[in-house]
Amino acid sequence: MVFEYKLNILILIGLTILLGTTGSRLFKKFKVPQVIAFIIIGFFLGDSVLGIIDKQMLSSFSFFNIFVLGITGFLIGGELKKAIFEKYGKQFINILLSEGLLAFILVTVFVVLLGSLFFDNMSIVWALGLLLGSIAAATAPAATTDVLWEYKTRGPLTTTILGIVGLDDGLGLILFAIASSITLAIVGTNTPAISSVFFHILYEIGGSVLIGILGGLALSLILRKISDKYGIITFSLGTIVLILGFSKLVECDVLLSAMTAGVFITNYIPRKSEEVFELTNELMPILYILFFTFFGAQLNLQNLNLPIIIIAIVYLIGRTAGKGLGANLGARISKAPKTVQKYLPWCLFSQAGVAIGLSILANSRFPGEIGDSIVIIITTTTFVVQIIGPLAMRIAITGAGEAGLNITEEDIIRESKAKDIMDTTVPLIYENMSLAQILKTFSETDNLYYPVVDQKNELLGVITVDNIKNSLMTSGLDAFLLAHDLKEPVIAKVPPDLPMLEVQEILDRYNIEYLPVVSSKNKVLGFLERRQISRKISTKLIELQKQAEALE
Amino acid sequence: MLELKDYIDKNLISLLKVKKKEKILLKLIDSICQNREIPDSKELKDAIFYREKLMSTGIGLGIGVPHVRIKGIKDLIVAVGICKQGITDYETIDGIPVKVVVMIVAGEKQHKAYIKFLSLIVSKLKDSTVRERLFEAKNEQEIYRILNS
Repeated sequence: MVFEYKLNILILIGLTILLGTTGSRLFKKFKVPQVIAFIIIGFFLGDSVLGIIDKQMLSSFSFFNIFVLGITGFLIGGELKKAIFEKYGKQFINILLSEGLLAFILVTVFVVLLGSLFFDNMSIVWALGLLLGSIAAATAPAATTDVLWEYKTRGPLTTTILGIVGLDDGLGLILFAIASSITLAIVGTNTPAISSVFFHILYEIGGSVLIGILGGLALSLILRKISDKYGIITFSLGTIVLILGFSKLVECDVLLSAMTAGVFITNYIPRKSEEVFELTNELMPILYILFFTFFGAQLNLQNLNLPIIIIAIVYLIGRTAGKGLGANLGARISKAPKTVQKYLPWCLFSQAGVAIGLSILANSRFPGEIGDSIVIIITTTTFVVQIIGPLAMRIAITGAGEAGLNITEEDIIRESKAKDIMDTTVPLIYENMSLAQILKTFSETDNLYYPVVDQKNELLGVITVDNIKNSLMTSGLDAFLLAHDLKEPVIAKVPPDLPMLEVQEILDRYNIEYLPVVSSKNKVLGFLERRQISRKISTKLIELQKQAEALE
Repeated sequence: MLELKDYIDKNLISLLKVKKKEKILLKLIDSICQNREIPDSKELKDAIFYREKLMSTGIGLGIGVPHVRIKGIKDLIVAVGICKQGITDYETIDGIPVKVVVMIVAGEKQHKAYIKFLSLIVSKLKDSTVRERLFEAKNEQEIYRILNS
């Protein structure tokens, strides 16, 4: 029997997930966004270094990349509610046009100026300039949204970033279609008619939007009849994959189609769609680990030479300056909040799937010097901006005060310990307190459960409003009943450092409404009541919401 | 519906000739431990004396109701001791020496039954005729009848 020692695909996927998640945890300690960890680990696993993830394997995963991009587009679409369009629509258009067009213009001009020093053929230089310029307009939605989700951001900057990264893919496509048509006219023998260029753009964008609307409508009609989580997630994923498949079949843009479907359902069935996006969102952590690690693995930096490096640097400078200045200009024109004006320029650097996809498309349309140069320039610069982009974004969203504002009840519970939530003001009932004294304490506070302690504040039991009620209904006992007589045994108690998730498990397991929090010496430190836990979490959520609203 | 007769046990009634609180409490604890299954007699003793330390259970009118709730007790246990000459060191609200001691031992989770029984026995003993008859009772049998009447 002959054993095949080559790592099979399942081992590689397992390895990728484990290495990716371990790396991201390590990077998190240095406050580096996880996406960078995934890409670097992928880069080392890929052909450029270790060669564990090879080209053959990567090509078999091309469908997976489309799937992740599609889901990302769908989720971004979900953020674009009618109210947001009404509120930010003008701002989106201004910023989109200024950052996209300025990046296009600056990259084209810079590449043409510097390229003329290295290439004799000016038509090649112009082709490179125009194609690279058009690719520069797009921003990576997956890498961008991953950072936003990782840092749980909320506020005007977050909304603007989501709107822009969702839409500038469309702008990139339009610019690329124009650029490639002009390039054909410059370098090719068959010059396409302007009308056919515009027809192609119209077809690609219109077709994507139409597929998205039809898919979104179908999904909405299905979801109206489905209420279980399993049904919601399976029908949603099935429909998204079909949308992506059809979009690919008729050569439209998968991201735009999925995004349109997301926009459609978030506005057509707003309440139901919240559950759809919430469930879909839960898939993202694992999808992103694989997506970005594979992405890192496919980056090939072996064919670099000096002219290419210089053009790549020029491309980076032009794109960064164009996006930065353009975003700032657009934000100023549309009188966006100060935080958007100040920090948006730092949030649009990422480029990934769309840019690489367009570079591959350019390579297939213009094989040879132009195509090869574009692929290597985009690959190299993508590697650089994918490292710099998320870092810059983290600094920007933190500076804008939006990090940590998009927190759900589950997040607060997941990140809190008993000591963070416990009520430290709950009055202690000493065991020798009489019924009259206990009733006085009850009348002064609104708790339902009180810890009974000895003189050293060590927990002995609990008095509930319910068991006091029994004592009140019986006469003649008030003179000699003490807290000691009325206390109930403690079913469970917890240490202050116990995570709230475990606290909730204990409350559910014993079906109890309260839990005393005690030190290692059984001294009462605080008290947790179910209703007080919910109240505290709601207060925290409202505070965060107010903070986010104050930024607008 | 909880009634006194369900819990008053002939075997746990004693006519005693002790003068000290500690003695009568110990006698009643012994009587409970001998007649009923008590998981830990020391725990019972400690609990009774600890409760008395917090505040005496002499509720006035010559009545004492030492009571505790402890783990492992399935049903209420009631022991009665009559001490005609009175126990002078049993601190009471009104200073009258205690002559009737009703010791109640309940399970940890028997809050309702425990409070209800306390209430029933206290209201019964607050009746001066009942008290007079108890102080005059000649034997345990008679005490049993008076309490269950």
